Amino acid sequence: MCFIWLQEMKTVVKDEGALIFFILLPLGYPLLYSWIYNNEVVQEVPVAVVDLSHSKSSREFIQKFNASSSVEAKYYCNNLAEAQSLIGKQAVHGILYFPADFDHRLYRGESATVGVYCDMSLMLNYKAILSSAQAVSMSMGHELTVSKSPSFTKRDEEVSSKPLDFDEVPIFNATGGYGNAIIPAVLVLILQQALLLGIGMSAGTARENSRYQDLVPISKHYNGIFRIVFGKSMCYFMIYAVMGAYITMCVPRFFSFTSMVHATDLIGLMIPYLLSCIFFGMMLSCLVRYRENVMLLVVFTSVPMLFLSGISWPQTNIPGAWQGVSWLIPSTFGIRGYLRISSMGGTLHDIQPEYQALWIQTLVYFLMTCLVYRFQIIRARRHALEAKKALK
Amino acid sequence: MPVGIVDLDNTTTTRSLIRTLDAFQTSRVAAYYPNVNDARQAIQRNEIFAFLYIPKGTTEELLASRQPKISFYYSNVTLLAGGTLFKDLTTISLLGSAAVGSAKLSALGKTEDEIAAFLQPIHMDLHMINNPSANYNVYLSTVMVPGVIMMFIFLITVYSIGTELKFKRSKQWLKLANNRIWPAVIGKLLPQTCIFLTFMSVYSWYLYGYLNFPHPGGIGMILLLSVLTVLASQAFGVFIFGLMPSLRMSMSICSLWAVLGFSLSGATYPVTSMSPMLEAVAQMIPLRHYFMIYQICIFNGFPLIDAWWNVVVLCAIICLPVFTMMNIKRAMLQYVYIP
Repeated sequence: MCFIWLQEMKTVVKDEGALIFFILLPLGYPLLYSWIYNNEVVQEVPVAVVDLSHSKSSREFIQKFNASSSVEAKYYCNNLAEAQSLIGKQAVHGILYFPADFDHRLYRGESATVGVYCDMSLMLNYKAILSSAQAVSMSMGHELTVSKSPSFTKRDEEVSSKPLDFDEVPIFNATGGYGNAIIPAVLVLILQQALLLGIGMSAGTARENSRYQDLVPISKHYNGIFRIVFGKSMCYFMIYAVMGAYITMCVPRFFSFTSMVHATDLIGLMIPYLLSCIFFGMMLSCLVRYRENVMLLVVFTSVPMLFLSGISWPQTNIPGAWQGVSWLIPSTFGIRGYLRISSMGGTLHDIQPEYQALWIQTLVYFLMTCLVYRFQIIRARRHALEAKKALK
Repeated sequence: MPVGIVDLDNTTTTRSLIRTLDAFQTSRVAAYYPNVNDARQAIQRNEIFAFLYIPKGTTEELLASRQPKISFYYSNVTLLAGGTLFKDLTTISLLGSAAVGSAKLSALGKTEDEIAAFLQPIHMDLHMINNPSANYNVYLSTVMVPGVIMMFIFLITVYSIGTELKFKRSKQWLKLANNRIWPAVIGKLLPQTCIFLTFMSVYSWYLYGYLNFPHPGGIGMILLLSVLTVLASQAFGVFIFGLMPSLRMSMSICSLWAVLGFSLSGATYPVTSMSPMLEAVAQMIPLRHYFMIYQICIFNGFPLIDAWWNVVVLCAIICLPVFTMMNIKRAMLQYVYIP
């Protein structure tokens, strides 16, 4: 067992490809991704203003709109066509349109309309423009209502314009940051993909080096199934215990992402997650004939896997069949569990279903791996015997 | 999406408020909780995405016009769910307010129009151009799927050239082309180009023809973009292999580049909000230019000249192999594959 462990360690360090995926990828990629999303929220989205009203109230609206940190009234246009061509040039992402009768209607006691045209090609820009415009129209409307209402005291005004007050409290991910929402998932996924790539690579190398393209070499050390499986998985686990700690604790700290994780919960989640990833990878590695093929396999699946975890499109709205597929993959539960203990400060108790699913996966994939390796050993022996016969 | 309720007041008024919330398309009242702590734990267990908290005595204070306060708590950990529920819950709170206001005003003898104008003096007329329902699939499939196809083309291109070297067929391959590298590479990649083009066309037909995604840019633009995409991806693959004529390294680079492209294309998080250095890096990513041409010319239907920069860059990427072709030839004739 120790010999196999040592052999595996040696291949990881010596093999250029395995080194990249085992060590460099999990070290470097999280930093790159965190850097990309480090600004968290979109700010100063440029907007064109078409003000046909040219009145005090429309100017007040624009001023208040401009004061919001997420948008900026960058261009003033004379008509909608002009503003539209600015969208085409990507100079602005939305248009604010005040009709000529905006002011008149407002002071005539009718409801005035302000047109908001959004370029829908980017969800976040659209949201920024919409929410700023909504906030301004509500606060200006509120002031107007107050000034028009027949009341005596200040308090009276407040109550009559807003009989039912309300508070909106973002309870988790309070900044609404994009990075905070997506980075934890990406980090956990990187762990899995790096493991799959690394294990697949080293299996591919083993096959290419062997004479009959067998996964298991003929040697007195490679006799028992459990010996091989435990030896290899111990090597991967040792490396990835370090990597896992780095990715789940250091990286969020570097970029000051929200992390409310407790040591015991994190360890409790990561151990089954890493083990299930390792056995998942070892099971899949028997499919790999050439070392480069594994890249084709793993790289493609990473994007669908991210979506299957319910990170961008909520889990409850994923169709049933896809949910079923997602249960086969360790990262689904790993991501959900990690999000809950890291971003929401949950405990192991809160993520019990995920936690249990990961242990079940670990067990199932472990047994599958043993079966696969048993098959491989038998094949390797048969090849060896055939070769012996041929020699005679 | 499941929403929780913490209703400590439990009167007809609050119950009708909750029923209205349940009637919204995007939210479903999933559970009632006795206190805020339980509801918070339910969010942590991922049972609900948000909850509405109605303190005791809300109705009583409402009727006595003492301005009671209700709160809603929403989790932004899944951004989309947070955003949608935020909208719903704001609406419901405003409605609650408006119901009281309109009852009071109609008692004063105002007409319905007057009440509407009084309660909402500035009305916002929102135009969500080309995607009026904010369909999420339009965001996802139009960029992520081409991203995956491009990744596929990168890797297949590199793989098919690299395997010649790996299985020691490279010299024979070049001999077939009279030792000229250009006919060799073009001949090898041309059938693949046809296959990928067919693939892109089928994908485009499914998306724009069958699912009817917005495409005011027209079919000509879609085809042009498909051709540009396929050629640029293949050229990029050849270029990378020429830079590093080792199958393993070039495949690694290609896959890292392609995966990075998903983020740097700016389809989810806008490139203009990233750090300026990354904005520059994004220019080197083919998917970024695909996305820009798609959204300017196909999705919004502006003329091609508005996306001239992106078209030029894609054309430049198509020309990139010129620089590394000689290197590929040298590698094919001299290098030996080292496992």
